[in-house]
Amino acid sequence: MGSVRAGVHGWGAYVPIYRLPMAEIARIWGWHPEQYRGLAVDEKAIAGPDEDSLTMGYEAARNAIARAQVRPREIEAVFFGTESKPYAVKPSATIVAEALGITPMTMASDLEFACRAASEGMRALTGMVSSGLIKYGLVIGSDTAQANPGDVLEFTAASGAAAFVIGPEKGAAAIIEDSATFVTDTPDFWRRSGEPYPLHGEGFTGEPAYFYHIESAVKALFERTGLRPSDFKYAIFHQPNGKFPVKVGQDLGFTLDQLKEGLVTPMIGNTYNASALMGFAKVLDKAKPGDRILLAPFGSGAGSDAYSILVTDAVEAKRLLAPTVEQYLARKVKVDYGFYAKSREIIYVIK
Amino acid sequence: MQVFVEGVGMTKVERHYEKGLSHLAAEAAFKALDEAGRPGGVDYIVVANALATLQDEQLDLGGYLAASLGLRGVRALTIEAGEASGLAAAQVAASLIESGMADKVLLVGVEKITEFPSGKAYRHLQMVYDSESRSYYNVGFAADAAMLTRLYMETYGVDRELLSYWPALMHNNAKENPYAMLNFAIKPDRVSKALVIAEPLTLLDTFPLGDGAAAIVLSSEDSSSKPMARITAIESATGLGSIELSDDPLIIDSVAEAYKRLSSLTGVDRFDFIELHDSFTITAMLVLESIGVAPKGKAAEMVAQGSFSPTGPGPVANPSGGLKARGHPIGATGVYQLAEASLQVAGKFPGVQVRGAKRGLVISMNGLGSNSFVALVEGV
Amino acid sequence: MSMELSIPRFWRFKHSIYRLQAARCRSCGRVHYPPKNACPYCGSRDLEPVELPKRGKLVSYTTVYAVPDGSRQYSPIYVGLIDLGLTKVVTELTDIADPSQLRKGIEMEAVLRRTRVDRDAGLIYYVLKFRPAMGVPDVQA
Repeated sequence: MGSVRAGVHGWGAYVPIYRLPMAEIARIWGWHPEQYRGLAVDEKAIAGPDEDSLTMGYEAARNAIARAQVRPREIEAVFFGTESKPYAVKPSATIVAEALGITPMTMASDLEFACRAASEGMRALTGMVSSGLIKYGLVIGSDTAQANPGDVLEFTAASGAAAFVIGPEKGAAAIIEDSATFVTDTPDFWRRSGEPYPLHGEGFTGEPAYFYHIESAVKALFERTGLRPSDFKYAIFHQPNGKFPVKVGQDLGFTLDQLKEGLVTPMIGNTYNASALMGFAKVLDKAKPGDRILLAPFGSGAGSDAYSILVTDAVEAKRLLAPTVEQYLARKVKVDYGFYAKSREIIYVIK
Repeated sequence: MQVFVEGVGMTKVERHYEKGLSHLAAEAAFKALDEAGRPGGVDYIVVANALATLQDEQLDLGGYLAASLGLRGVRALTIEAGEASGLAAAQVAASLIESGMADKVLLVGVEKITEFPSGKAYRHLQMVYDSESRSYYNVGFAADAAMLTRLYMETYGVDRELLSYWPALMHNNAKENPYAMLNFAIKPDRVSKALVIAEPLTLLDTFPLGDGAAAIVLSSEDSSSKPMARITAIESATGLGSIELSDDPLIIDSVAEAYKRLSSLTGVDRFDFIELHDSFTITAMLVLESIGVAPKGKAAEMVAQGSFSPTGPGPVANPSGGLKARGHPIGATGVYQLAEASLQVAGKFPGVQVRGAKRGLVISMNGLGSNSFVALVEGV
Repeated sequence: MSMELSIPRFWRFKHSIYRLQAARCRSCGRVHYPPKNACPYCGSRDLEPVELPKRGKLVSYTTVYAVPDGSRQYSPIYVGLIDLGLTKVVTELTDIADPSQLRKGIEMEAVLRRTRVDRDAGLIYYVLKFRPAMGVPDVQA
């Protein structure tokens, strides 16, 4: 990494109000409770009928821009990381950018790399800021995660968004000290073009995919920086369920104390592109100046990033400029399988 | 204004699946022409219609109705002003006569709203509101009236049950009217228990979806032979037509203005009956209060007390049953109202006849008053 | 193949729709939304754009069951009249899990949501709808 660094000037999240309990899914599809208890998730957040990844991303971005205390027009790049775009062709990034007043002098595109697309966007923005190509960039991770109805993935596939304004080191609430990315062609989970739901390799998504890539990225980061687990206050990982992030964290040498603040999946399920990133936003909601954060998102297909992030004095003043992740987690209403099926359009309807 | 009514014709308001626009128009128009003694020279046909393009893929309805009615060559105009198309067309027809451009005008209001399932009709009806503020949403046709109802109830301390006397009155009047779509009486307490369309409005607070046609033969003084009524004046005004732009949404600015123009033109402020635009219970209340027939906030109470009933102190409101129960074939409604008013002052209304009726007011408006029309009909 | 929702009709209106861009009359000072060609109050043509605040108070509301074609998935549809200070607007309301929470005077905030979707292949219209406020900040352009 060069000597000129980039940092997070604003962060924001969004979680829809609706929660579908695991027991409801089990009731419809005939799962035994022990079949999903191991996922360590209580209920999942699902977007309502008038929401999609774009509307969720808009709100997370609005929160991030407010915290960044910049005018929308100062943002010169918008990356929208998602695997549940409303349009396969037509960038969600331009709609969100227009709705937020960022257009027209801006780069904009939608990125895909399963759950780590937004993280790739974040790394790209750090490079663009460091090089001086742009001053501020916005990255959004947002998904209304899909799963084949009746598949075990349905328990955790949830809806949510996280967004970050990346800018120069000066004035940032958290500095991105260094980062690394590790990718290989590993087909653990995919969704064919035109298909509504993904397929996955079940056990194959574990060791060869999730664990291998996260561990490799984090170890690469440790090697470059000379940092060790004890140098970090928080460690946040991609969280497809409540168990994996704890296991990979402990395998890498982190303690439960370092891991627990960055966990959101046990409360709301796996929000795909917003998974690790929402954990990151949640940590920024309470981190103190001087805290160091390890952030390791993962995306199937497969790859992982590892960031070392240092919180600065600027974080405190920005915290209350937008709702916190906790506020969104606390805002909830239980729904049943029928409402979820209608909202997420898994019922065939003649339009 | 010296414009005379020589004949009227109406069809029953109904879901006329077996009758299209031209068939309905002919039914009403032939009756009106026959009653007027089959006059030789109709100079103009003025057609009132709002939905022909949306429901029946028809432009220039007036042009095509001309030949269809055996009047090929006649001068034809089609007038649209949403729900107020009927009186708007009457205003044009009357001005053609007043100006000397025509001696005899056939005014025909005709509407079909049942060509598609109701969901599509609700989308069409939503178009009576400002497109730029409403068409991007799914508010439907009753949301504005519902919000106004809530404002009315809160501002004046009027409860749901007090507002239910109006629909009951309308049904009571309509059951005598052979042209009315709804011919059954209801008790006020049934209104709040009916299907909710937009809370607190129920199905019984609004008009049924029905097709229909009404026609009137209008003549100048010189060419009328045995007129049954006279249209003394028609005035109109545009307004904000918007609950959010109005400083006081509980007064319909365009209704108040149109009535003021009519009153100062004619010097009249007393009438035996009013056929008014009760697209919803709340619009009836606001129309009565906007023209000052009821003090602000008191219309519902006065209705409940029987002030506007056929046996009350008057003026009698909607002896026909109004939009609520006679029906509201959108663009045609204003022509129905004028035809009914003409029959009233001629002593010939086949339903509730207001005794000794000499003077009636007709009020029609679009939406919440984007455009409002008021006509004065008098006996001859 | 047919398109029910117009492309340009929405597109030319997007600043009003996405940002509640209204018009202020330089003659009489009144603000109205959506912007017209002249002031609806005093008739003056001297107008300037002004962005409305995204937070306001609920003045009136309703729950619609007679929903128009193409909106069944959102039923019942909540609609509200909101006072934003500079002027009032009428929009759909969203995130209303419990309609009894709707009361005159409660704080509402604007968020972006889907409103009309042209079946499977057509456009998606996004608009601002209001929901009970939780403190989402206003970000003015």
